[in-house]
Amino acid sequence: MTTVTTGPPDPSTAAARLEASGVTVRFGGLVALEGVDITVPAGAMVGLVGPNGAGKSTLFAVLSGLLRPDAGRVRMGGEDVTRASAAARARRGLARTFQRPELFSGLTVREHVVLADRVRRRGGRILRDLVTGGGFRRPSAAEDGRVAAIIESLHLEELRDREVSGLSLGACRLVEVARALATGPDVLLLDEPASGLDGRETAELAATLTRVNAEHGVSLLLVEHDVELVLGMCETVNVLDFGTVLRTGPPEEIRSDPAVRAAYLGAEQPPGTAREAAPDTDPEKERR
Amino acid sequence: MLQYVLAGLALGAIYAIASASLVVTYASSGVFNFAFGAMAFSVARFYYFLHTENGWPITAAAAVSLGMFAPALGALLYWLLFRHLLLRPPLIKIVATIGVSVALPPAVDLVFGKLPNTTAPGLAPVPLTVFHPFGATVTMDQVVNYLGLAVVLVVGVTVLRFTDAGLRVRAMVDSAALSGLSGVNASRVSLGVWAATTTLAGLAGILVAPTAGLSTDGMTYLMAAAFAAVVAARLTNLPAAVLAALAMGVFTTVVQRYLDPESALSAQIVPSIPFGFMLLFLLYYALRGRVRDEPAGGALDRAIRVEDGGAARTAPRAATPAGSPHGHRSLPTVAKAAGLVAVAALPLVLDEYWAGLAVTGLALSLVLLSYTLATGEGGMIWLCQITFAGLGALTAAELATTYGWHPLAAVAAGALPVVVLGVVIGLLTLKLGDLYVALVTLTFGLLVQTLVFTRDRFYNYGQGVAMPRPGFAEDDRVFAYLTLAAFALIALFIVNFRRSTAGLAMAAVRWSEDGARTVGLSIVRTKLLVSAMAACIAAVGGGFLAMNAQAAMLDTYNVFGGLVWLAVLVTIGSRSPVAALVAGLGFHFLPGVFQTHLPSAWAEVPVLLFGVGAIMVAKDPDGVLAMHARQLRGLVDRWARHRPAASPAPLAATASASEPTGGERP
Ligand SMILES: Nc1ncnc2c1ncn2[C@@H]1O[C@H](COP(=O)(O)OP(=O)(O)OP(=O)(O)O)[C@@H](O)[C@H]1O
Ligand SMILES: [Mg+2]
Repeated sequence: MTTVTTGPPDPSTAAARLEASGVTVRFGGLVALEGVDITVPAGAMVGLVGPNGAGKSTLFAVLSGLLRPDAGRVRMGGEDVTRASAAARARRGLARTFQRPELFSGLTVREHVVLADRVRRRGGRILRDLVTGGGFRRPSAAEDGRVAAIIESLHLEELRDREVSGLSLGACRLVEVARALATGPDVLLLDEPASGLDGRETAELAATLTRVNAEHGVSLLLVEHDVELVLGMCETVNVLDFGTVLRTGPPEEIRSDPAVRAAYLGAEQPPGTAREAAPDTDPEKERR
Repeated sequence: MLQYVLAGLALGAIYAIASASLVVTYASSGVFNFAFGAMAFSVARFYYFLHTENGWPITAAAAVSLGMFAPALGALLYWLLFRHLLLRPPLIKIVATIGVSVALPPAVDLVFGKLPNTTAPGLAPVPLTVFHPFGATVTMDQVVNYLGLAVVLVVGVTVLRFTDAGLRVRAMVDSAALSGLSGVNASRVSLGVWAATTTLAGLAGILVAPTAGLSTDGMTYLMAAAFAAVVAARLTNLPAAVLAALAMGVFTTVVQRYLDPESALSAQIVPSIPFGFMLLFLLYYALRGRVRDEPAGGALDRAIRVEDGGAARTAPRAATPAGSPHGHRSLPTVAKAAGLVAVAALPLVLDEYWAGLAVTGLALSLVLLSYTLATGEGGMIWLCQITFAGLGALTAAELATTYGWHPLAAVAAGALPVVVLGVVIGLLTLKLGDLYVALVTLTFGLLVQTLVFTRDRFYNYGQGVAMPRPGFAEDDRVFAYLTLAAFALIALFIVNFRRSTAGLAMAAVRWSEDGARTVGLSIVRTKLLVSAMAACIAAVGGGFLAMNAQAAMLDTYNVFGGLVWLAVLVTIGSRSPVAALVAGLGFHFLPGVFQTHLPSAWAEVPVLLFGVGAIMVAKDPDGVLAMHARQLRGLVDRWARHRPAASPAPLAATASASEPTGGERP
C-alpha cells in the first residue's frame, strides 16, 4: 500500500488517498460535471449520492482513468495522476466496480479473482508463465488461499467455477467486488454495488465492505441509490446534483439539509423514502 | 476526359446499387452481407438462363429474375438463415453469410449447370447501340447502368420516405426493440428488406456481368469494391455510400487515363483502387479514435443486448461445463488422445493418394490454429490470416530457393516480417469495433493479393516460387510426421497460453476492456501479443503448406479462400486445436472422397456441405465439435455414474469436471 510521507499532515489534503479538484466533463453541449471537488482520505468511507444523471458514474470514470476530464486534476496519495492510464492507476492501488457490470464473460468467478490477484502480484508482468509452461502447473497454495479467502468473504463459493455470463445481476456485482478486492486496493470505488441485491445480500455486502475497511484500511467511495445504506455506512457524504457538488458533510447534516432534500428527494419527502423516489432497477426482477 | 468520367459513372452506378443493398441490410438487420456476391451471381445466372439459354426477351427475363426470383431467393435465405442471426455475435453473422456465399453458387450450378464461359449480356439489347454525346462514346450498357441507379434511387427514396413500409423500415433501423413494442412486425419488415436487397444485388449482378463476367469471382470483386463505399459511409449512411461509390467509379476510370495500359503495374493498380480507398478511410477512422460498430438499433436495443452481461458480443455463452478452462467446452481427454493416435496412424495406413491429402490437411490445420488463437480465443475477427500464411510461404520460399537457406530455417525466418505486419495491423485496429476489424484485415489481404501475390515474379503463371522440403522429409510420410509434430507443438502452446495468466488476460480484454484496464491490464500489450502470436502461427503454417506443395503457390492464399477456411473452422469449432485438426483434414478429405467414389456431377457437393455447415452455425454458434463434445461428455458422465463407487480416479475426475450445467440460463 502506498504511504504518503510528503506534505503537511492535514488529513483532508495531502494524506488523501484519492482526491479530485475542479473536475469538469462535457459531452458535446451537455455539462456532466462542473468544477467537482471530492476527497477520499485514507481509511475513510465516503458516500456519493445524487439523482439519476447527476454525474456520479461520470466522476467515477474520471477518477479511475477511463475518461479524461476537460479540466481539473486527480491525485492519488498527493501525486497527480490526471494523465495516468486506468491500468497505471489500478496498479497504484485504485480499484472500482461498475454500475453495469464489466465482467469477463468467458471466465469463471474464480478466474476473475485469480487474474486480478496475479496482475497485482506480478505488477502487470503476465508473460512469465506463458514461456515457462505455467498453464500446465497447479497454482501455488498461497495463491489458492488468497483467492479462496476473497471468494468466501463474498459468499461466492457455490458459484466459484461457474462462468459469469450465466449469473444473476446481484451475483455479478459481488464478482466485481471480489475482483476489485483481489487487486489489493487502497481505494475502492463502488458504483451502486447494492442494486440488484436483496436485503440479506445487501447487509452481507455492507458487512464485508466495513470489514475490509476496518481490517485492511481500504478507503471506500460509495455511490448508491439506497441512501439509507450510504448514510449508515459512510462518515462523509457528498451530494452531487447536475454535475456540481451540492453539499459535503457527515450523514446527520446531509439528512437534515433542506437544499439536499429539495434537490434530491423532492421537498416534502423524508430521506427514508429515497429508494422509491429514485427510479432504480427493481431488485425483485434481477434476482434469480 | 468526359469519356472517362462517363464510363466511371457507369461503373460507379453499379457500385452504388451494390453498396445501397449492403447498407440497407446492415442498417436494418446488423448483418454485413458477405453473401452479396453469391446472391448477385445467382440472380444474374438465372437471368442468363432465361434470356440467353431460353431466348426470353430482355424485359420478360429481367422482370421474372428481378421481380420474382430475386425476392423469393431473399425471402428464402431470410427464412433459412438471416432471421436466426439477429442477436448473434458479429463473428457468427459473418461466418453464416460466408456460408451462404460458399454454398449458393454450387447450388445454382447444380440446378442450372456450370457455365462454360463467363461472357454474358446485360440488360441492353445486343449489338449495343452506341451514343456520342459531346464527342464521347457511351454504350447502351452504360446508359442502362445510369438508368438502373436512377430507378433504384427514385424507388428507394419514395418507398423509404413516403410509404408505410418505408416508415417501418426506418423505425427498425432506429430500434428494432422499440418498433417491436409499438406493433411493427419486425420479422415481416426484415423479410421485405431481404427480398428488396437481394433484388438490388441481382440488379447489380446483371449489370456488371457484361464487363466483369458472369462468375463468382467477378461478383465477389464487385462486392469487395462496394465494401469500400460502404465503409466510407460508415456502414449506415445511404446517400454517402451512393456518392462514394460514384466517386470511386469515376476515380477508377480516370486513373486509367494516366496509366500505361500495357504495363504490368497498372494491371495491378487498377483492381486495387477500391481497397486502397477502403484502407484510407479505415485508417482515417482508426487514427481519429474509437470506432464502434454498434449496428442497427437504438438505446433500448443496446440495453437489451447488454443485459446479457455483454456476452452477446461474441461467441458462446449458453451452458458450459464447470471447471474447464474459461468454461470452454472441450472433448473428453480420452477422445482427444484417441483422435491424435488415429491421425498419427493415418500416413501409415493410407495409400499414397490419401496420405497426400492427409499431409495437406495437416498443413492446413497448422494455419487454422492461427484462427483458433486470434478469433476463437482472442475474439478478433481477422480475415487476413491466409494472407499472413501466403506472405510467410513466399518469404520462406524466397529464402530457401534464392538464398539457399535450410527450409525449416527459412520457414522460421519467414515468420518474422509477418509478425511485424501482424503487430502493425494490431495497432491500427486496436480501437476498432469487430466488424471494422474484419474489414480492415480483409482489405489488407485484398491489397496484398492484388499488389504482391499477382506479381509475375512471385505468381509465375500459377506455379509460384519453388519451396523444397527438408532433406530428411522428402518422403510424404516423414513430412506428415514433421507437420504433425509442428501441429502438436503449436497446439500445446495454445493450450498452455489459454490457461496461463496471459490467456486469462486476453480473455479479460476480449470480454471487457474497461474491466481489464481497471484491474491493471494493458489492452495494447495484450492485444498485440495475440496479434503477433497469431500472425506467427499463420506464417509458419503457410510455410508448411508451401513445403507440402513444394512451392509457394499464391492461388492457395486467396483471401476469399481464407474466408472459407474460417467458415469451416468455425463450423467445426473455433476454440479447440482438435477442431482445427478436424477442419483441416476434413477440408481436404471430403472433396477427395467425393472425387474418387462418386460421380463427377457431385464434385460440388462438399463445397455445398461446408457452406451449409457454416449456415448451421447460426443455430449453434459453438460449432459441431462442441455439440458432439457435449453429447460425448453426457455419455461419459452416464457411464461413470453407472459404475460402482470404487471406479478409478481419473475417470471420476473427468466426470465431475463435466457436470452439465445445461439450461441454467434464464
Ligand atoms: N458517454 C456519454 N455521452 C454523452 N452523455 C453522457 C455520456 N455518459 C454520461 N452522459 C450524460 O452525463 C450525465 C451524467 O451521467 P452519469 O451516468 O454520470 O449519471 P449518474 O449520476 O451516474 O446517474 P445514474 O444514477 O442514473 O447512474 C447524464 O446526463 C448522462 O446522460
Ligand atoms: Mg451512474
